[in-house]
Amino acid sequence: MKDFEDREQRTAALKGLGCSRKRVEDARFTQGKGNYIDDVTLPGMLFGDFVRSPHAHARIKSIDTEAAMKVPGVVAVLTAADLEPLGLHWMPTLAGDKQMVLADGKVLFQGQEVAYVVAEDRYAAADGVEAVEVEYEDLEVITDPFKSLESDVVLREDLEAGADGAHGPRRHHNHIFLWEEGDKDATAQAIGEAEVVAEEMVYYHRTHPCPLETCGCVASMDKINGKLTLWGTFQAPHVVRTVASLLSGIEEHNIRVISPDIGGGFGNKVGVYPGYICSIVASIVTGKPVKWVEDRMDNLMSTAFARDYWMKGKIAATKEGKITALDCHVTADHGAFDACADPTKFPAGFFHICTGSYDIPAAYVGVDGVYTNKAPGGVAYRCSFRVTEAAYFIERMIEILAIELGMDAAELRRINFIKPEQFPYTSALGWEYDSGDYHTAWDKALKAVDYDGLRREQAERVEAFRRGETRKLLGIGLTHFTEIVGAGPVKNCDILGMGMFDSCEIRIHPTGSAIARLGTISQGQGHATTFAQILASEVGLPADSITIEEGDTDTAPYGLGTYGSRSTPVAGAATAMAGRKIRAKAQMIAAYLLEVHDDDVEWDVDRFVVKGAPERFKTMKDVAYAAYNQPIPGVEPGLEAVSYYDPPNMTYPFGAYICVMEIDVDTGEWEVRQFYALDDCGTRINPMVIEGQVHGGLTEALAIAMGQEIAYDKIGNVKTGTLMDFFLPTTWETPNYTSDYTETPSPHHPIGAKGVGESPNVGGVPAFSNAVHDAFRAFGLRQSHMPHDHWRIWKTANNLGLHG
Amino acid sequence: MELKEDVFIPAPRERVYDALNDPEVLRASIPGCEELEKTGENEFAAKVTLKIGPVKARFAGTVTLHPEAPPEKFSLDGQGNGGAAGFAKGGAVVTLDEEDGGTRLSYDARAEIGGKLAQLGSRLVQGTAKKLAAKFFASFADHVAQETSA
Repeated sequence: MKDFEDREQRTAALKGLGCSRKRVEDARFTQGKGNYIDDVTLPGMLFGDFVRSPHAHARIKSIDTEAAMKVPGVVAVLTAADLEPLGLHWMPTLAGDKQMVLADGKVLFQGQEVAYVVAEDRYAAADGVEAVEVEYEDLEVITDPFKSLESDVVLREDLEAGADGAHGPRRHHNHIFLWEEGDKDATAQAIGEAEVVAEEMVYYHRTHPCPLETCGCVASMDKINGKLTLWGTFQAPHVVRTVASLLSGIEEHNIRVISPDIGGGFGNKVGVYPGYICSIVASIVTGKPVKWVEDRMDNLMSTAFARDYWMKGKIAATKEGKITALDCHVTADHGAFDACADPTKFPAGFFHICTGSYDIPAAYVGVDGVYTNKAPGGVAYRCSFRVTEAAYFIERMIEILAIELGMDAAELRRINFIKPEQFPYTSALGWEYDSGDYHTAWDKALKAVDYDGLRREQAERVEAFRRGETRKLLGIGLTHFTEIVGAGPVKNCDILGMGMFDSCEIRIHPTGSAIARLGTISQGQGHATTFAQILASEVGLPADSITIEEGDTDTAPYGLGTYGSRSTPVAGAATAMAGRKIRAKAQMIAAYLLEVHDDDVEWDVDRFVVKGAPERFKTMKDVAYAAYNQPIPGVEPGLEAVSYYDPPNMTYPFGAYICVMEIDVDTGEWEVRQFYALDDCGTRINPMVIEGQVHGGLTEALAIAMGQEIAYDKIGNVKTGTLMDFFLPTTWETPNYTSDYTETPSPHHPIGAKGVGESPNVGGVPAFSNAVHDAFRAFGLRQSHMPHDHWRIWKTANNLGLHG
Repeated sequence: MELKEDVFIPAPRERVYDALNDPEVLRASIPGCEELEKTGENEFAAKVTLKIGPVKARFAGTVTLHPEAPPEKFSLDGQGNGGAAGFAKGGAVVTLDEEDGGTRLSYDARAEIGGKLAQLGSRLVQGTAKKLAAKFFASFADHVAQETSA
């Protein structure tokens, strides 16, 4: 008993796996001591700002910079003509396309970068921007991807007609690619023979990650030493270094990229933007550091958007509700340039996870990428690549099938779940799901909210509404989602050719504390807290004695960065593996110190003990000291390790979410009465951090489902370019959430963890949207497009004849 | 954006029609007008400073008149470029009906706006346009009435 208590105490002292350790980064964040990009100030620093196109599609007849150059404080004005001799007026995108850095002959979306004004301060730069005179000749604007594919108007005149794109043949001048997965014929046959088929167009609207801190950088070219230092809001600093080297010709060792504290990324800060290129060029030209930071309008209208998928689905089933096939065709609006941030071989990301949590024998997906006069992008906004689109699609199709069958949607899900004994499960679209226990999670969720009771209440409410006793309806939004995260195995996942491994390097100091550096970069996720916990449990040193450092390419090992919930599945695994290398070496040292054979010591929380004689031990702290001050035969001094982890598979977190929503039929106002979120992210590293991630992700999901969008008018104006029009929830709109969990470890991850940051967005959006749809199910609603703002809900009620 | 209004001007129709083609009267009546000149038979070029919500910009524009059935009816179209603030283009059909003691001027205008103007000012554009039009016609009517009585 005493031994047990002793072990418990020693384990607790480490604050390792499973501990709700307080976030170490919050000491500086809550005291205003964070160091964000706009806090970076260098002597003599200049500021850059863009002249942006007011037109969505226009030919540029002339650019006159003369007046701008006369504005006091303006140092330089760059146009495409200045960048062309350097070959930098265009840049490659992550999706194999190319994008104008500064407008080359024409503009293709509103807000496109036309000229870059460099000045002594931000105000002079803004005045300079006003003074640049650009003459445009407007061209026909296309904002509808379906019309784009039929239009004679050629958007991308730079692309050779009829030539293949990066992902195969292009069948029209505004077509980018057709990407297919699954067995088309078998799926068509199964649908043809099915007893019941439900068909629907599900639109996931264009929105934007809108991090609180916009994108920005500071470029500083040291001409004497030939070194370029680039601070920036980069979610993937190492990739930025490699791209910067390839584009500029500066050798990679002469480029240092630093991501300081980042105020939220959510996918928006993965890509490379014209602002970075122009700042680097401006610094090289002027010999001074140049800062560029977007304002909110710049951010919303020009840097990477998310979603904009038109998903036409067919789902087939037996009369009893057993799903037999799923067919999906997506028309994907990529905007003016294909700048999706997806692994190279996956132009539609991991959208083919769209069979969701269900055992569907036949499936086919085809995705057509299309150019329009909208901003480029298509990033994974708090989700893995195109996974939230997939989850929304299947969770809507399940609801629509339930309507078609006249079945309860909870039961329909249950009878189609992949069974626990089927894992590892290979889906019809080719993924190997690592582990899951959907039935247990589902039952727990339904019980927690008293699902049957809710359905009774809803039926009574409908009756009361029909009798004229109430004007409010009750919606029960169900979702069971399966995420696919942790990209990914180098064999099929790369970005610009760089395999999607990640890394950790650990140095244990002589006195038993440590520093670990990773290839990832926190943007608010709390890596300094949680990665130290992984390491604490692996090497037996307290998490409080471990510093985590990321984001400086001169010191951190190469990694692919943080997005797609990949940090824990990939860099977290690298951390555990590097910790195990430390422990293996420490075991030899401990055995030497204890004067026994290596095999005669065993690991016990924070120490090596002699087997059968636990009173004889050496702690990791003892070992660390010995590693530096004592010659040990056959063992090198020091205690360091590095691990580059190439994951054997993705991880598949899942969850069961239930949203209970009250809807006022006359005003369209909604109120979330209850939101229950059960997440299974495998091994839980820090329950408090998980809960924080879930709350944040659900709030972003609420925003997307209930109001947030990047809307365009027919001449291509961005109608939601400010926070006046773009919905960003505050505490006022944010409901209370109840979080819960089951724990099904990943069998292939060193500590069984799967990643959680993005699950609540993936599961949350369909849960909120399904609640709205479900409220109107009794009155015949099948599908209404997001976002469900008050006006659209009112219109839905009106179209259903509920306003008398 | 669409704007459909009518206004009574206490002056004879011929006089109203002529005044609408008179750069002096127009320059004095258009709110924020800095320059206005006749560049052709039915063409004008103007520079106007406008403020819509948070966006203030100097627009350089041209207007072309189409005298379809003078003095009862004519139409016009034009465009303005406000640089970084955005652009506007549109047109209007204007009819002049004789009434007791003056002329009833009706117009039916359409405009498309783009750029920052549309983004920041979208909620304000309709109201501002209405206000500017009212202001224009008020001072236009004043002008014409004064000249008529003089």
